[in-house]
Amino acid sequence: MYQQGDTVEVVRLLSVRKAYGKDRAQVVALDDVTAGFASGTFTAVMGPSGSGKSTLLHCAAGLDKPTSGTVVLGGTDLSLMREVELTRLRRDRIGFVFQAFNLLPALDVEQNVTLPLRLAGRRADPAVVRRVIDQVGLGQRRRHRPAELSGGQQQRVAIARALVTHPEVIFADEPTGALDTRSAQEVLTLLQEAKSVSRQTIVMVTHDPVAASYADRVLFLADGRVVDELQQPNPDEVARRMTALVARAEQRPQDGPRLSELTR
Amino acid sequence: MLALVLRTLRYRTGGFIATLVSVFVGTAVMLACGGLMETGIKTVIPPQRLAAAPIVVAGNQSYDLPTVGSGEDAYHETATLSERVRLDEGLASTISAVPGVAHVVPDTSFHAEVLGDDGGPSVPGTQAGHSWVSAELAPFRLTDGVAPVREGEVVLDAATAGRIGAHAGGQVDVAVRGGVHSYQVTGIADAGRRMAAAAVFFSPAEAAGLRSAAGQVDAFGVQLAPGADVTAVSGQIAAAVRDQHAVTLTGDARGSAEFAKASGDGELLIILAAVFGGLAAQVAMFVVASTLTLSVQQRRREVAMLRAIGATPRQLSRMITGEAMIIGALGTGLAIFPGMLLGDWLFGRLTGFGVVQPVFKFEQGLGPVIAAAIVGLGSAWGAAFVAARYAGRTRPVEAMRETAIPTRWLTPTRLWLGVSSLLGAVALAYLTITVVDGPLAASTAGPAVTLVATAVALFAPGLTRLLVAVLRRPIRAFGGLPGYLASLNARARWMPMAGAVTPIMLATGLAIFMLYFQTTEVAAAEKQYSDSLLADAVVTSATGDLPPGLIATVQQAPGAAGATAFVTSKGYNEKPSDATQDEDGVDLTGVTADGVAAAWGSIVSSGRLDALHGDTIALPADLAQRLGVGVGAKIVMRLGDGSRVTLDVVATLRTTAASASALMPADTLAPHTAGGAADRILVTAKPGTTEADLLASLRGRVGDVAGVQVAGREALTKAFVAETQANAWVNYLIVGLLLVYAAISMVNTLVMATANRRREFGLQRLIGSTRGQVMRMMAVEAGMVAAIGAFLGTLVAASMLVPFSAAVSDSLFPSGPLWIYLVILGLAVVLTVVATCAPTWFALRTRPSPSTLAPE
Repeated sequence: MYQQGDTVEVVRLLSVRKAYGKDRAQVVALDDVTAGFASGTFTAVMGPSGSGKSTLLHCAAGLDKPTSGTVVLGGTDLSLMREVELTRLRRDRIGFVFQAFNLLPALDVEQNVTLPLRLAGRRADPAVVRRVIDQVGLGQRRRHRPAELSGGQQQRVAIARALVTHPEVIFADEPTGALDTRSAQEVLTLLQEAKSVSRQTIVMVTHDPVAASYADRVLFLADGRVVDELQQPNPDEVARRMTALVARAEQRPQDGPRLSELTR
Repeated sequence: MLALVLRTLRYRTGGFIATLVSVFVGTAVMLACGGLMETGIKTVIPPQRLAAAPIVVAGNQSYDLPTVGSGEDAYHETATLSERVRLDEGLASTISAVPGVAHVVPDTSFHAEVLGDDGGPSVPGTQAGHSWVSAELAPFRLTDGVAPVREGEVVLDAATAGRIGAHAGGQVDVAVRGGVHSYQVTGIADAGRRMAAAAVFFSPAEAAGLRSAAGQVDAFGVQLAPGADVTAVSGQIAAAVRDQHAVTLTGDARGSAEFAKASGDGELLIILAAVFGGLAAQVAMFVVASTLTLSVQQRRREVAMLRAIGATPRQLSRMITGEAMIIGALGTGLAIFPGMLLGDWLFGRLTGFGVVQPVFKFEQGLGPVIAAAIVGLGSAWGAAFVAARYAGRTRPVEAMRETAIPTRWLTPTRLWLGVSSLLGAVALAYLTITVVDGPLAASTAGPAVTLVATAVALFAPGLTRLLVAVLRRPIRAFGGLPGYLASLNARARWMPMAGAVTPIMLATGLAIFMLYFQTTEVAAAEKQYSDSLLADAVVTSATGDLPPGLIATVQQAPGAAGATAFVTSKGYNEKPSDATQDEDGVDLTGVTADGVAAAWGSIVSSGRLDALHGDTIALPADLAQRLGVGVGAKIVMRLGDGSRVTLDVVATLRTTAASASALMPADTLAPHTAGGAADRILVTAKPGTTEADLLASLRGRVGDVAGVQVAGREALTKAFVAETQANAWVNYLIVGLLLVYAAISMVNTLVMATANRRREFGLQRLIGSTRGQVMRMMAVEAGMVAAIGAFLGTLVAASMLVPFSAAVSDSLFPSGPLWIYLVILGLAVVLTVVATCAPTWFALRTRPSPSTLAPE
């Protein structure tokens, strides 16, 4: 494990580079990114569209392989693992919350929550399952199907599913992207609680400064690089830095037409 | 995991039903074909007229061909003789001497037809004359009047009597042995059940004189003494008649003595069932794979999500296979009963069209059910394999993307499978054109087409993309706003579009190929027949037999260059033996020497046709060459009724594709045929005499002879085509069944694909499209899909039709009316548009609201 001060880093990216395509058409999504996520912390990753924040999450979670560099998760080097091993690793040691399409429509709340355990061939401990579902406030709805739940409730089911395996880290990809303000608040509060109560490590990609302010720390990405970092963020400061980033990105000449040119 | 699959299935009824219907229909068709095949293999022909005789002794129809090769490589084939093998009358005493036999009844059938008022046959189908002594074998019992005892007396069966209104004491005209005589009806007899052939009973004395081979009988019916054991007695009889080329039959096997020729129909059933059952299996595999893959594709994000949270590709594959097997088992189970009904119905149609004689017992036991279940489940499994591969390749990251339309399609496996399908198709096409002929051609051409279709299906995404690019410009130019939107859709969604194009391609391709294959084959056969017609006119009898001496009358008709009797049979050469001879043997035609010498001189390669008298033969040159004989040699032949004759070769014939028959004197050949006499006279016109003049002259000579008919070339060809068409109808019927199946699958797929786009339609409505605009856009899109599918289908069909028609005719174009093609295209377009627009309308029923945009 990597030590940094007195905290233990659960996930560490070391000089990670990810490029798509070949030769001229090549797009560099991550350019020499080095970052660590300490145990029991809640980190938000922010950046303008195309800054590489989703790619960073995919590489960190073993969903995508970096072109070069290493990703270490709880002492395991992901770059050395084959696809099936990565799948098992995701199943046993990582929790996921996506923006949408989190749940199997055919299964009810409890069945969706226990799905990772079933895929691993393990028996679900009923007490644990009940506790997790109660924790996300859906104790009365364990027999409901996703279609019978609101968007916020569906995301809470996804969080319960991520929590049930006691993963080393939970990755959330725009978990509040499709939600109204109140539901988003509930979901973010749940994630925060998971960190403070269960000492759960959380990495969340978002573009919403308010969402990011629920985290302990914000990493800012631009053009595939980590360009800034903010501890104990508040929404205004996050928004200010984001605006600066977008402005800076627009000043640099790029291939396509710029937003500013189109609106002029 | 199984519980998970079951829950998912219950939830997604759309895709579930689509796949279920495909498996269900496919299995039912395969099961029906299985029943036909079992019927063909078992050939259970229960006795009818011989039903009351527990044991029947008949001539042995099977013939061992001369042994080919020597030592360990020696083998021989067994053939079924084409004519009835008769037994010596004296054998009755041998059989009577066996302990346990009460008495022996000889049975002989001969051509006899009760005429109606118009002078033609009174009942459709076969009629035969018998001696009244054999009536007890059915048994026929008198319901009215008395038995015939003198010449000029007959007993009719109840069916015939009912039809012509005859009753005991009345008079009827009966055509027998070429003449028509008036008989007194002494009684009416009834066997109490339906018979395949009508019966006329003569007095024993008269019947003995009417049969075609004196001193010989067709079979013996054996009645047992009380208490005698059938098995024991039949064993003893078999031992007693061992050296007489006879077989001792019991149970359903007795039917083969009554319907000797019907067993050949069994082979036809097997071929038909194999060809169409095989095609049905291929189509089922194809269709199930495409619906299952589509349903997996539509769940792409769900699958990707499962991958992300930890489902291994193998777990997904097990899940999809489990799903397919549950649907497969359900579909197969549901198909058993309807499939059996369908088989029964098909068999009824086959006998109705006269393709097989209605004497078979339709058999559909456990065998076809098990086979169809295995094939049905197998196709589901194979389909699952394809779909699971697709699911396994899904990258987990896709779960997190908004809407990604897949664009990667040409995997190495796809390329490999596509290319090998094409190679297989080329091999089968080559086989079709060079080796296989007749009804067998469909057995290689059919699979060849499905292989081409498989290859096109595998390359469908690329082909669709290409054709979309071609179609886009005109559609944008003339399609207005819906055209503009549809062309944009098509450009982005060519991959899902290929999924809709594929079943249309399969259905139209199969339809065009199968139907034009039939019409081309019929046209080619017609041409071959009219080319091979060596006569300008034919004299036949409505009652089958020609009056003796008629040939002389015809020969003297003004304008006739030559007239020849004509009778066909089949034999086998024994010495010298032909190593290439198979169970089809040598075609034999019985002719009149003077007639053929005058008219057919052009086909002689060496020797003289006017020497065809007595035990002589004229051989096709290629056969003579294989045998290593020439004019003046002696050969030994086994004729159709099993008798062995030594023949002098008097001529060799130039062989053409049209005629490969050896010629023998009709007087020598006819007694060895079932009918015992030539049934037609072919007449060739003198140079300068028109066909009309010849026909008029012939009618003048023989027109007043009862039942005799004169026909020209055109009438003959027409009759031949009518007969060929009857066979073709069966093919049309089964082809139709397959096409209905393909069409169902096509509609299935389209409905499934369109219903999945509800969200997109909702979005369009929200941004201001009217319902009509969305419908019109989808109609244009459906038109594009239909056009691309029909175009590819035409290519698929053409890929086999062109070489096939080049092989059977000299044209690259298949023969047949154009309207068939137009109807197929029309149906494809209508079905596609309806199957697309109906679910669109359904999806647009509700008011648009943001909730319809929620992720599915």
